[in-house]
Amino acid sequence: MRMKKTLAVAAVGAMLALSACGSSDGSSNDKSADSGSKTADIRVWLNGADTPDDARAWLKKTFEEQNPGSTLTIEQQEWDGLVEKLTTALSSDKETPDVVEVGNTQAPTFTTAGAFSDLTDNLSDLGGDDLLKGFVDGATIDGKTFAVPYYAGSTYVFYRKDLFKKAGISAVPITTDEFVDDAIKLKKANPTPKNFSGFWLPGQDWRDGAAFLWNTGGDFAVKDGDSWKGALSSPASQEGLATVQKIFKQASGAPADATEADPVTPFCAGEIGMMVRPGWVKGMLEDAKTGCPDIAKNLGVFPVPGADGQPAPVLLGGSDLGISAKSQHQGLAEKALALMLSEDYQSILAHHGLTPAKNSLSSKLGSDEYAQATIAAASNAKLTPAAANWALIEGDRTLEDLFSQIAQGGDLASLADKADSHIAEVLNK
Amino acid sequence: MANRVSPAGRLGANLAGIAIFLVCAFPVYWMVNNSFLPRNKIRNPDPTWVPFGGTLANYRRVLTGGRIWDALSMSLMVTLATVLISLVFAFLAAVAVTRFRFRGRISFILALLVIQMIPVEGLFISQYKMLEGFGLLNTVVGLTIVYVANVLPFTIWTLRGFVAGVPYELEEAAMIDGCSRMQAFFRVTFPLLAPGLVATGVFGFLQAWNEFTLAVVVMTRESKQTLPVWLSVFTDSQKGVDWGAVLAASTIIAVPVIVFFLIVQGRMVSGLTSGAVKG
Amino acid sequence: MTTTQEVLPAETSTPVSSGPERRRRSVNALPYGLLVPATAALALALGYPLVRQVVLSFQDFGLAQQFGKPPEWVGLQNYRELVTDSYLWKVVLRSVLFCLANAALTACLGLAVALLMMRMSKVVRIAVQAGLLLAWAMPVVASMTVWTFLFDTQYGIVNWLLTHLGLDFDGHAWLLHPMSFFGVATVIVVWMSVPFVAFTMYAALTQVPEELVEAAEIDGATGGQRFRHVVLPTIRPVLYVVLLLQIIWDLRVFTQIFNLQKAGGVTEQTNLLGTFIYRQGVGGGHFGLASAAAMFMLALAVVMTAPYVRLMLKQEKEA
Repeated sequence: MRMKKTLAVAAVGAMLALSACGSSDGSSNDKSADSGSKTADIRVWLNGADTPDDARAWLKKTFEEQNPGSTLTIEQQEWDGLVEKLTTALSSDKETPDVVEVGNTQAPTFTTAGAFSDLTDNLSDLGGDDLLKGFVDGATIDGKTFAVPYYAGSTYVFYRKDLFKKAGISAVPITTDEFVDDAIKLKKANPTPKNFSGFWLPGQDWRDGAAFLWNTGGDFAVKDGDSWKGALSSPASQEGLATVQKIFKQASGAPADATEADPVTPFCAGEIGMMVRPGWVKGMLEDAKTGCPDIAKNLGVFPVPGADGQPAPVLLGGSDLGISAKSQHQGLAEKALALMLSEDYQSILAHHGLTPAKNSLSSKLGSDEYAQATIAAASNAKLTPAAANWALIEGDRTLEDLFSQIAQGGDLASLADKADSHIAEVLNK
Repeated sequence: MANRVSPAGRLGANLAGIAIFLVCAFPVYWMVNNSFLPRNKIRNPDPTWVPFGGTLANYRRVLTGGRIWDALSMSLMVTLATVLISLVFAFLAAVAVTRFRFRGRISFILALLVIQMIPVEGLFISQYKMLEGFGLLNTVVGLTIVYVANVLPFTIWTLRGFVAGVPYELEEAAMIDGCSRMQAFFRVTFPLLAPGLVATGVFGFLQAWNEFTLAVVVMTRESKQTLPVWLSVFTDSQKGVDWGAVLAASTIIAVPVIVFFLIVQGRMVSGLTSGAVKG
Repeated sequence: MTTTQEVLPAETSTPVSSGPERRRRSVNALPYGLLVPATAALALALGYPLVRQVVLSFQDFGLAQQFGKPPEWVGLQNYRELVTDSYLWKVVLRSVLFCLANAALTACLGLAVALLMMRMSKVVRIAVQAGLLLAWAMPVVASMTVWTFLFDTQYGIVNWLLTHLGLDFDGHAWLLHPMSFFGVATVIVVWMSVPFVAFTMYAALTQVPEELVEAAEIDGATGGQRFRHVVLPTIRPVLYVVLLLQIIWDLRVFTQIFNLQKAGGVTEQTNLLGTFIYRQGVGGGHFGLASAAAMFMLALAVVMTAPYVRLMLKQEKEA
């Protein structure tokens, strides 16, 4: 009979465990009011390897010096699966991290859902108007701000000086029209390899294509009273998209279904005359193991030219920081957040080529050609529409689909119509 | 059957066999090959077929930092626990449904089938909440519980065939010799099932070893990540996907599985041979 | 423990009885006891999530609810929204076709490989088994990475080979058109699934009684006839099981589609039920709707497999 008894015990154990589950589910008591005077371990989630090691070390050391008895633990998460992780972890009383980094376009999803603590009162201490405005706006709903910028990364044009010379282009383009013309000229001057790009724009790359849409005054979506409206069919957007399609057709040799993830291979294969990429690509191209120093020695950079001769509005990528509403240590989390926006910390980020969260610190980026291009690009950078549901549009890949179909030569008006109604439907849900 | 094949038939079968081998093994070869190449040779208009003059840099990059050892031990613990527990539980259940006729038996078998049809994409958030309720987030136990449930239905189903393949008379004989019913199961049937247990264990092993969706949300602390979660470190660093590291890490992840396979291979093939017919 | 418990070996149907009263009680207890660990484990890990899934499917449950806002009951609204959405039906049709094509192809190829394995010399057979094991053992993340490499538009080996064979495949985009996308997906899914089928079918084939095949041969049956009348009936039960499992697994296919979409498919034209649910739920924050879609998919799987299940139950009762 021993066997049966063991089984019975196992069964009872299982039932107890089940009931434990049932009872704990409803007991989400809100301790977020805790002022956090006591000591604790503050868990900071940072994504990928973007935050440099010396910044991490500084943060940990400084925080622990200023808050004796408390510790700060940086837990590196990956961008892959981040939304899933935040969706689950930020809803957990026990396992929530205290401070989290979130992609700037992902932020509205979580701010509107109540996952972050209200930072409105701390805003002026954290930098106020000096903070990157687009980021703050994107994280503000009904006058309350739930996340602050962490860093930004803008993109600029890399071009090959030797190919410019070969095609007889004597100066870098100043306006969008010149830019497109030069790209086509480059393509014509380089019949081989077959898939040479005067300007490299892979089909799925709406993020870099966005500059041409905004440049003509177009947009993905606009707010119309209380609701959102897809704006891709507007005449201004159509004009911008027509430029995009012209580039796809006449200037780019990149596949219509490709992503912008790997610019190094085509560049080193001699297939690229110009491309819009973030600054770190330079290091990879110049490294003998990852890139091709021979070709890269001809590199030059300039900001994407706008219609009016000023830098074009490029999509500003980057990250926000928020404090989990479920965090039991709001006070300490605020202190950690403040340190991450401090001049010392942000200067370390700038030193590594990340655009700082505060406008006043942009000089820390340096003064070479690349820093100049970064600053110029950031000066007119733009964000995706600040709609609560915007991340859903990125989640269902509407824009990847749209641009890829434009690259295949699809009819702009009907594609835009379709995308507009989908965008309106999703953003107004 | 095998010994009555004509020479021409055998030649044809052998040629087809070589083709099958190539198709099966080429992607594996390509993973290993590319894991030894520097980044600018991996995606390249001119493919490198053999990694002559290759580099170990990818492996060095993957092995530094020590996180791999944490991940490896987590994966081993979770996987072995999953395999062992699911095999024991499945064995008991398989004995029940093959050796006994009882009310609810068919319903049980049906339920196992239906459970396998449940789409998991929507479940993991609920499973996270459940594990949170148990206080089992970031623990081997928590992840194992869910994995065991994931592989149990298939394991019971397959093991059923193997149990039915062990002649009942053997158990009877043992009982006549004075063994109790349970002793007869464990002393006679269980050892005879070894090949079947290995064959079904492989399935559980692969499932637990490769699972990503749940592990990524449940095991958030760095020291608690399993290998597939650790692998994602290389798929989205700031500098784009580090293909060389992904492939080197994949190769490392695949090695224990392949070793495990090699150890059990003989048994598995004979195991599948002896038991699968009953389904 | 009592030794007089009555059990029925699966092979025989005559109970070895001694005292009906006593038999009934003990027969009732032991098998249930044996099922307790498995049932408890399943109930523990799946019970709450499943119940919650059913509940969510009747609620308006989004991200705000996930972070603590009380959800609202909406009755059948999620289901209504689903079935009136013409897009869902497109996805369902696509999923069903993809599933059936893949399951059939996997089963046929697996059976073919198994039949060939019966005829190969030993060395080649071991090589084939090793190859199958390698393909089976390769981590999914790794195989998806490699397969997307192979089919890469610009630098893929597939295009490289075809171009060098003199065909115009330079820069051919395999994932761009839905049919071609699903073709590539099929190659990958089948590649991953054939090893299991081939091993299982091979095992079944080795159990076909030699004497029966010989007898048929003596009677003058051709190879095809022998296969149809002797081999097939013996392996039919295994074939059913394998087909059933393939249908279940191929309907749920997710990772392969998800990764190929990232690599280059037009998402809207290539979603299958798995990715559809994912994009509604985690991607879209509509957990209620995603749960309803998951319930719908479960029902679809049950309906699709019902004929097989009925067949197997018949066998089960006859056994």
